[in-house]
Amino acid sequence: MLFFRGHDWDEGMSREETQRVLDRLTAWIEGLQQAGVMRGGSPLGRAGSVVSEHQVRAVADGPFAEAKEIIGGYLAVEVADLAAAVAIARKCPTLGHGITIEVRPVLAECPIVQRLREPPALAAA
Amino acid sequence: MNPQKPTDEYLLLIRGTHWSAGLSPAELQRAMTDFYAWVDGLVKAGVHRGAQPLVEEGRLVSGAKGATVTDGAFAESKEAIGGYFLLAVSGLDEAVRLAQACPILAHGVQIEVRPVADLCRPMAEVKAMGNG
Repeated sequence: MLFFRGHDWDEGMSREETQRVLDRLTAWIEGLQQAGVMRGGSPLGRAGSVVSEHQVRAVADGPFAEAKEIIGGYLAVEVADLAAAVAIARKCPTLGHGITIEVRPVLAECPIVQRLREPPALAAA
Repeated sequence: MNPQKPTDEYLLLIRGTHWSAGLSPAELQRAMTDFYAWVDGLVKAGVHRGAQPLVEEGRLVSGAKGATVTDGAFAESKEAIGGYFLLAVSGLDEAVRLAQACPILAHGVQIEVRPVADLCRPMAEVKAMGNG
């Protein structure tokens, strides 16, 4: 799973420059589709809420909501391992414009459920 | 004005990966039973489009041509994303209401609720300018 952190990569760019990066971005995504590794993904709206036990805050007020940390979208790719996913991420054309991509392997099962299934002696070790 | 158009989908990012620390096995079992009851409720309501847990270890890629690759310290952070849910609901309010019913919120987890958009904002702006 690739999370695109940073919402305003086009800040300070001319319309032509933005268009050029968008064209490269579209080509990058089409390349992933043609390679058959793309499993899904979407851009995210800027609005949103952060829900905790006793309150609901705007995403913009969240502790992790500096503009460069906000997740602007995500992409799921199916590849052999983390290194292959990182190699794909490094080719993303919006890198270099203030974007960071968080690359995370997906699990088949919740790790807490896995721990629950371990024998108590092992869990305590 | 942001020209992005919302869809009927909302992404719930579960933030906090170590919420189970300090719970006894019995408490943890109860928390997981409650959690899966919440998930079952989403499935039965027909709003559940997908969900996956994430490995705590990952990488952060940044810089021009992805020059910088670092280990992400996701496991230690209360804000680290532990997994996600994709829901199809009528609006942000309903997505928030469903998130508020998630039982692991009581253990310090936070859920970021974000509308899925049709286009990324720069693309939506370029498109809007083209039509204007």
